Amino acid sequence: MQFKIYRYNPEFDEKPYMQDFELEDIRPGMMLREALLELKKQDETLAFRHSCGEGVCGSDGMNINGLNGLACITPLAGLKEPVEVRPFPGIPVIRDLIVDMEGFYQQYRSVQPFLIRYDPEPEVENLQSPEDRDRLDGLYECILCGCCSTACPSFWWNPDKFPGPAALLQVWRFLADSRDQAMEKRLDALDGPYKLFRCHTIMNCAYVCPKGLNPTKAIGNIKALMLKHSV
Amino acid sequence: MSGRRAAGLRAWVVQRLSAIYLGLFFVYLIGCFVFAPPASHEAWRSWVAHPYISMALLLFFLSLLLHAWVGVRNVLIDYVKPFGLRLVLLALTGLALIACGAWGLQVVILARIA
Repeated sequence: MQFKIYRYNPEFDEKPYMQDFELEDIRPGMMLREALLELKKQDETLAFRHSCGEGVCGSDGMNINGLNGLACITPLAGLKEPVEVRPFPGIPVIRDLIVDMEGFYQQYRSVQPFLIRYDPEPEVENLQSPEDRDRLDGLYECILCGCCSTACPSFWWNPDKFPGPAALLQVWRFLADSRDQAMEKRLDALDGPYKLFRCHTIMNCAYVCPKGLNPTKAIGNIKALMLKHSV
Repeated sequence: MSGRRAAGLRAWVVQRLSAIYLGLFFVYLIGCFVFAPPASHEAWRSWVAHPYISMALLLFFLSLLLHAWVGVRNVLIDYVKPFGLRLVLLALTGLALIACGAWGLQVVILARIA
């Protein structure tokens, strides 16, 4: 199987380049991550992040044949040859397929992704009805791999100002939480041209999400809630 | 309502509402021209001068201008980074849109007083 892999080591390379690789033994059911590990045996300088190998940790997000995804849950069988593997688009490359996720994490931090309560701490747990808990389905599963935000043109153009789909999905995760009490504060922080409204419903985020989540829908829900609180 | 809010939520709402009006009015307009096209300049003028039509046309111009303003502003915010250049382009867009609106208003007024 033929591979073309993005290589760039800022210590030695003036410019990034694509390196050709070939892998003979493709086992049935083999995922791209396993292939990359085999290719790393051929050229030990090839660098990429990976950890759990089953789509839970979100470390091995990369651009595979033009689409962001997790290498560990991308079967080789469905990929067109040569398989072009690049780092996430639109954010700084540290080396080869390893990108600098700091801006992404900064945006995640900026939306205060935790429960905010103003009531005094209760003596018992904050209970939630099963119906209220159901509203968090499709939101809490995010693993912060960054596939969505780095596929979003609005995030490419304004990574310092636009929170991006991953962070906005988390805003909705806490707005939808019956235990959270900071709705007004969260909504106010999202108004203006650069926050919520930089999303133009391009929907790349929902298209690439390896967990099948839909940030565009969450953003739509936030817009509707904001409208409801303004008229 | 702060200026920030006007540029965010309000711009978004204006864009949606104007889109609905533009969509409906375009259907009506195309219907008029397909099924009852004005035969002469005079027929065309008196059609514009009809009170309901002039009002609908003025609303149409307003919606078109607001819709175009929000859309062009979005594109400029996305693609034009230097502050000075963006300001100049926004100002030019605004002036051009106001000029178009003034022209449309003039056409309707002239049709009504003729």
